[in-house]
Amino acid sequence: MHAALRAIEYHLPDHAVSTADLAAEFPEWSVEKIDSKTGIQARHIASAGECASDLAVCAANKLFASGAAVPAQIDYILLCTQSPDHFLPTTACLLQDRLQIPKSAGALDFNLGCSGFIYGIGLAEGLIATGQASNVLLLTAETYSKFLNPRDRSVRTIFGDAAAATLLTAVHSTEPLIGPFVYGTDGAGGQNLMVPAGAMRRPRSGETSTVTEDDQGNARSAENLFMDGPEIFNFTLSAVPDSVSKLLAKSGKTLDDVDLFIFHQANRYMLDHLRKRLKIPQEKFCVSMAHCGNTVSSTIPIALKHAWMEDRAKPGMLAMLVGFGVGYSWGATFARLT
Amino acid sequence: MTRDEFLKAFDEVLELPPGTLRGPELLEDYPLWDSTAMISFMALADSNNGVRLAPKQLAGCATVADLLQLANVES
Repeated sequence: MHAALRAIEYHLPDHAVSTADLAAEFPEWSVEKIDSKTGIQARHIASAGECASDLAVCAANKLFASGAAVPAQIDYILLCTQSPDHFLPTTACLLQDRLQIPKSAGALDFNLGCSGFIYGIGLAEGLIATGQASNVLLLTAETYSKFLNPRDRSVRTIFGDAAAATLLTAVHSTEPLIGPFVYGTDGAGGQNLMVPAGAMRRPRSGETSTVTEDDQGNARSAENLFMDGPEIFNFTLSAVPDSVSKLLAKSGKTLDDVDLFIFHQANRYMLDHLRKRLKIPQEKFCVSMAHCGNTVSSTIPIALKHAWMEDRAKPGMLAMLVGFGVGYSWGATFARLT
Repeated sequence: MTRDEFLKAFDEVLELPPGTLRGPELLEDYPLWDSTAMISFMALADSNNGVRLAPKQLAGCATVADLLQLANVES
């Protein structure tokens, strides 16, 4: 048995911040400049009491309403989040109850960001191929907005909140429909995209809540998300082309064999650069973030869902999926669409 | 990409009229030389000259000419 990507649904919070809204807040950046750098027109922001699990419930219920599965069929929940409801208990356990998934199901959270979807489907393939599960509900859900300082335009223009629900089911197949996988990790880059305070290493205090301004006028405290954009760009230029080469070598395929390329939707500028550098034809390369921004681990399923909706993705197609970001962590794989 | 073409592309990054930058200009005089502009310069060097630059290298540059040298732009 192997895992097949059976269905994807996603949910965005109601409140949206447009590029015009941000241009009004940051007059030094025009709508045109924000648009040309990010390719993002709106970012959806969770309300004060709205958590990752709430977004995940909406996405999962949408998936169940689509008829792809009923809660009773789910035998494993994987939740990828870096903004859990609590330190403990595990948010995936709370989701089992809220979604009325059988108590016989396994459930776990895993803490990854923009590479999370690749690792999630890798875990799901492992669970299914070894007979541990038949219907895995992979949830990716983030409320990064709660980490952002309102006066930090470097991250506010990019990140949006979202959740995606992906159903992976066991199918009889001699060959894997997902894989092979290429993974990578470089913890030395951890400091370049991080929330420095608020957990055990550096608990919240008066000192950690003190807001300071950097030399570019962006304000944040140690409890806010910090992103070193140039370092992240540099990491991406190294990790992504290397992962693509390794995946092609591991699978014995060439770029021409791939029907669709779905990379983590970091921002349009970065994606355009990677596409040109890798010489990927534009018509095969999915960019789908204008309506929701960089939603961290949900960008790949959201882009894949849109590819299906726009008839760009069709059964039998081979899609290359590449995730990369915070950690540093990255991963790449192929999915044969069903 | 010739030196002139590279300079014109960098003019665009810093939102300057084409032909403004010649080389000796001090980067600290350009308020738009920020992290976003750094990323654009790194992309220019990578795509046009095949040179991957680390942000720390850029941070050590004082003038436009220093940047061009890092990016292996012929003088």
